Amino acid sequence: MRLIAVQTQCNEASLVDERPSPFGWPERHRVLVSAAVLAALPAVAPHPALAINILIYGLFATGFNLLFGYTGLLSLGHAAFFGAGAYGCGLAIVALHLPWYAAILGGIAFAALAGAVIGGLAIRTSGVYFGMVTLALAQCLYFIFYQWTSVTGGESGLRGVSVPAIDLGPLHLSLLDPLSKFYFLLFFVVLALAAFSRILESPFGAVIEGIRENENRARASGYALRSTKWMSFVLSAAFCGLAGALNTIHLGIVSIDTLFYTTSGTVVMMTVLGGMGTYFGPFIGAALFLCLEDLTTNWTSHWQLIAGLIFIACVRFFPAGVWGSLLERIRK
Amino acid sequence: MTSHPRSGGLSRRSAFKVATGAMLFSALGRPASAQPAPIKVGFPVPLTGPYGSEAADQVRCAQLAIEDFNRTGGLNGRPAELLVRDDKLNPAEAVSRTLELIEKDKVDMVVGSLSGAVQLAVNDACKARGMIYNALSLSDRINEASDFGPTTYHEGMAPHFSVGALGRYVFANMGKKVAYLIADYEFGYEMRRAFQTIGDQMGAQVVAEVKHPLGAQDFSSLFPRFISAKPDILCVLNFGRDQLNALKQANEFGLKDRMKIVVGALSSTQRIAGGADAYADVVGASNYYWAAEDMYASSKAFNAAYAAKYKGGVPSDYGSYGYGGVRSMLELARKAGAVDPAALSAAVGTGFDFDLYKGPQRIRACDHQSVQSVFILKSKSEAQMKTTHDTFEIVSVAQADEGMLRSCAELGHKS
Repeated sequence: MRLIAVQTQCNEASLVDERPSPFGWPERHRVLVSAAVLAALPAVAPHPALAINILIYGLFATGFNLLFGYTGLLSLGHAAFFGAGAYGCGLAIVALHLPWYAAILGGIAFAALAGAVIGGLAIRTSGVYFGMVTLALAQCLYFIFYQWTSVTGGESGLRGVSVPAIDLGPLHLSLLDPLSKFYFLLFFVVLALAAFSRILESPFGAVIEGIRENENRARASGYALRSTKWMSFVLSAAFCGLAGALNTIHLGIVSIDTLFYTTSGTVVMMTVLGGMGTYFGPFIGAALFLCLEDLTTNWTSHWQLIAGLIFIACVRFFPAGVWGSLLERIRK
Repeated sequence: MTSHPRSGGLSRRSAFKVATGAMLFSALGRPASAQPAPIKVGFPVPLTGPYGSEAADQVRCAQLAIEDFNRTGGLNGRPAELLVRDDKLNPAEAVSRTLELIEKDKVDMVVGSLSGAVQLAVNDACKARGMIYNALSLSDRINEASDFGPTTYHEGMAPHFSVGALGRYVFANMGKKVAYLIADYEFGYEMRRAFQTIGDQMGAQVVAEVKHPLGAQDFSSLFPRFISAKPDILCVLNFGRDQLNALKQANEFGLKDRMKIVVGALSSTQRIAGGADAYADVVGASNYYWAAEDMYASSKAFNAAYAAKYKGGVPSDYGSYGYGGVRSMLELARKAGAVDPAALSAAVGTGFDFDLYKGPQRIRACDHQSVQSVFILKSKSEAQMKTTHDTFEIVSVAQADEGMLRSCAELGHKS
């Protein structure tokens, strides 16, 4: 019931998006504004590794938001696509010895492929069954990668994914320098945000929001629901795959936990915390979640209790997510 | 809530003046008598997760190591400081925390980790950044040339020599027919390889071998296979809850009446969690047991310092890795005269022997492995225990000997 209530309020929030707003310019240039805000992250985040995590998990939550916030489908198995992107990128470097740019594309392609298969099976169901099927299929992928030690490294994870520097003509960028690495990864995140914005503005974006608002009405209007949902699933997986690939470049390893269901839970929390169905909410959610975790873990080993309480408070007082509720208030 | 009394009638205005003066003074320059910058030791361990209690004791012991180092003068007066981080037993989180320690906290060295996977991931991150890292977990792989780097150190034992020492004791004293129950992942395989290498040398015969998935619940269905194979020894090569469940069910099944049980890694925290009955008469290898104080003065001093600081109790085996790991690196820095990877490596090259808490140890030059004694322990029954801490009997000690390790050439090192 809570979820339905939250979703309804979020839907209302996104409906408000259509009205003229006092923030017309920032909304029209949301990619530019988002890029500027994200570019300032290293100056405000407690440390560079955390700023990079906010970028990566923000993108992961953005990809998840396409399916959850905009299409209205709650997947509980999105770790599969983050993990597929991470392993796809890592294996391209370690096993196939491909250059970093091909590895990133490989990660996106592998995640999209996993999305096509899992999505193809999951969209036949709806509601809680959709959640359960995505969770079960994602766990299947986890166990395959866990057992396939010779390729994936199994429990030890995939190691040796070394991208110490980027050489593009005269440009030499050391990824061992945290700031260089941040802006290198930001470049891909901004590209993804531009693509994400374009998708939302396209007729396809309008159709998925239509499906979210009223599935029967969308069907009656002549839209092919199954293929539209499937396409949304695959695109969502591709964005999450890019986040996974960037995470591999960042850490230099792929942990098997990347594919575990707790990662799926984390992205749901981040998205709900920030504001589902909002363009920048997932980044706010990721920033809040990661900063909260960072501060509380250094303070007490019972950080999960404190983080949980704050999360409950956020959901209670910001039912449309922190960013979603803030937008609502500004626009009123 | 109580209000704070004004100290000596100091007004808000004068307090502001004093504070401003102090700030200006500190901004103008550091007084000559200021403390030198401390040596920062990053310590990522899994405070949350299934090994939380082991990690908490590692932090206690590491803190003790820092205090002992500072009390004995530090590095030419330069004290050490411990920065604890929770790696949540997750390699990705551990790398992220390690990057935080290196990039934000500007640590001088990293010590820690309590699982093979996490340790290898942290080592990769440190190696790429030229950061000194002393790994505390059991692993054979970290010593191999492909994973080792000039900044890599390994305080944790390698199964090749810890389980190998156990094998020497077991096959000489307990029989030659062995059955294996192995956790189906790298930790289990490494221990099996080490145990059977010694078994092959000593003419042991493998009569049964069963692998179980990590986190298995039911072991009793596997026991009829072991009973029909009639081994002298059942060698249980797993850890944590798996070990606990296997031993509890073996005890309830009456397996101990038919064969002797040996575990690759015996830990006091596991034994306390599992209870005396489940572990009674089980033999295993460990890096430390507090009763070593009857053999070594350093152990006696370590136990006493631990009891004094933490109001009783004894350091656990995994906890003591925290002491050894931190203290040995700081002592190495003292010998080298600097906290610099090249200086430390050079100091190891000239021979670094020490006795900090468990008798003689040394760091081998080629792979920076801590060569140390291995304690072969037998778990006591409830009736044999004199105190709550009296859980094990030391049945044998394999002294620190480089001969127990795989040779440098075998590991792929040049020298």
